[in-house]
Amino acid sequence: MSAAQTFLNVLTRLERTLAVFLFAFMALIVMADVVSREITGLGISGAPRLAVYAFIIMSMISFGLASQSAEHLRPRFADALFPKSWEIPLQRVQEGLMTLFCLIFAWVAGSVVTETKALGEVSRSLKIPIWPMQSVFPLVFFIAAVRHGLFALYPAIKPSPPSKMDEAA
Amino acid sequence: MSAVALSFGLLVLLVLRQRIVVLLAVAAGALYVLYGDGKLAYVVLDAWAAADKEVLLSIPLFILAGNIMAKGSIARRLIDVVRIGTGPIPGGLAIATVISCAVFSAISGSSTVTLIAVGAIMYPALTQAGYGRSFALGLICAGGTLGIIVPPSIPLILYGVITETSIADLFIAGVLPAILLMTLMAIYAVVRNWSAERTSVDWPAFWQAAKKSVFAAAMPLIILGGIYTGFFTPTESAAVAVFYAVLVESLIHREMTLKQLEQVTFETAKTLGALLPVLMMALSINTFLAFEQIPQQMVEMLSAMVDSKAGFLLVSMVLLLIIGCVMDIGSAILVMAPLLTPLATSYGIDPVHFGILMIVNLEIGYLTPPLGLNLIVAMGAFREDFLTIAKAALPFIAILAVGLVIVALWPDLSLALID
Repeated sequence: MSAAQTFLNVLTRLERTLAVFLFAFMALIVMADVVSREITGLGISGAPRLAVYAFIIMSMISFGLASQSAEHLRPRFADALFPKSWEIPLQRVQEGLMTLFCLIFAWVAGSVVTETKALGEVSRSLKIPIWPMQSVFPLVFFIAAVRHGLFALYPAIKPSPPSKMDEAA
Repeated sequence: MSAVALSFGLLVLLVLRQRIVVLLAVAAGALYVLYGDGKLAYVVLDAWAAADKEVLLSIPLFILAGNIMAKGSIARRLIDVVRIGTGPIPGGLAIATVISCAVFSAISGSSTVTLIAVGAIMYPALTQAGYGRSFALGLICAGGTLGIIVPPSIPLILYGVITETSIADLFIAGVLPAILLMTLMAIYAVVRNWSAERTSVDWPAFWQAAKKSVFAAAMPLIILGGIYTGFFTPTESAAVAVFYAVLVESLIHREMTLKQLEQVTFETAKTLGALLPVLMMALSINTFLAFEQIPQQMVEMLSAMVDSKAGFLLVSMVLLLIIGCVMDIGSAILVMAPLLTPLATSYGIDPVHFGILMIVNLEIGYLTPPLGLNLIVAMGAFREDFLTIAKAALPFIAILAVGLVIVALWPDLSLALID
């Protein structure tokens, strides 16, 4: 279990660094575009597109961060239907289903990326292939499958959802 | 038959504690497999198309700007000005609370952040000044909800994105209804606290506080002024808001370090990691529904049952009130807006007006059990039990309901400021 915990800690640190970097890059590129337009009368060519790609990759990487802090949106009104003694088996089922979902999504997304690459689709304004950006979908969902799979195997390392108070503070 | 099986399957997943992103993805996949071309790949393609939009950039940037200011000293500085200025009015401190909530939510774009930031200062001030505990709790919970109607509002952006309605129009349409709700709350505060202690304005202190808050107060003017004068798009104004917030908090107020900025960015990224996949799946379902002309079929079905605009408004508002009690506002908008807005349009309701109605309606959900977010946050913030806070919010639910009826019956209140 400690190896799983260590793996998740390292993974989270990596995701956090990437997400914060991409967030900063996205904000900077949009701002630079505005400043350039106001000073020179011309925006930075392709800047909005770059910002959008940074946003998509950052948000998808943050999917894992949301999993790691149990912040995915979930209706909770049915939680009280089961007795407390069922909590651990229920958590395993919950995370097992999530793992299955992530694996299926990763597989389908992988096939879409392969098709996009084969078709040679490019971003119109940047003139670069879009499949490397799309690759974040299968990659992130595969990593999410591993993460939720570990939560299913070792419910003790599954994070508790933050209280609403923590979320707001 | 397959529709019943799909609904049952989703219910089972819900009971087995699956996240909304899973429920929406399963629904989207099943719709394509059962009723479409049978290709699951369309879900991923729709998800990519949904995320690949420049207008979405305003969401992370506004959330980040709000979070930066919530961690800094902007709330405290603004409240000081309003508190001193409203001293001579009956119920002045309560009115100061409502105005502070509105002003701060115009900066932060979030109800819960407003509740915490303003409530932390005003709740003790209200109770120490002799205002009833229940009144103070209800007022702060309700004042916090103004955050979703006062622009820039994330729920308004979500509505704009998913229904392809102009976000700038939605922002401007939210101004007068927000002022109406503020006025209704202020009238109630005056009537309820007519005999409360009043203080005269300490002008030197007022000017001192005003000087300290000038950079904070300029924020809504820069954001909204920039959008409405055509200087910035909503997305660009969001980037400007981030840089202005960083500049003010780190260089002028000197209350935020680089480490704190990294922490705030990380917290915002987590929020987006939960929000964007849900948005993508909701838009995938939306694309399927539009392709299969489901809204048109629903219009025909509903037209047979409800033959008037008033009837539709009544049915949709009751439905949204119920949904607001059990679902968070982001999910409610993403699921319901694509279904209801085409129907509203078919009954001659302007989509901008309907968007404002939807947001004001779901605003009430912040105060209604079992999932009233502001009630839950207030429970932790003010160390009160849930029932006490829920009871305290009751008069304010009635006030918001009156506001909703006025906004519904008076479309010009939302549309008057739009060209």
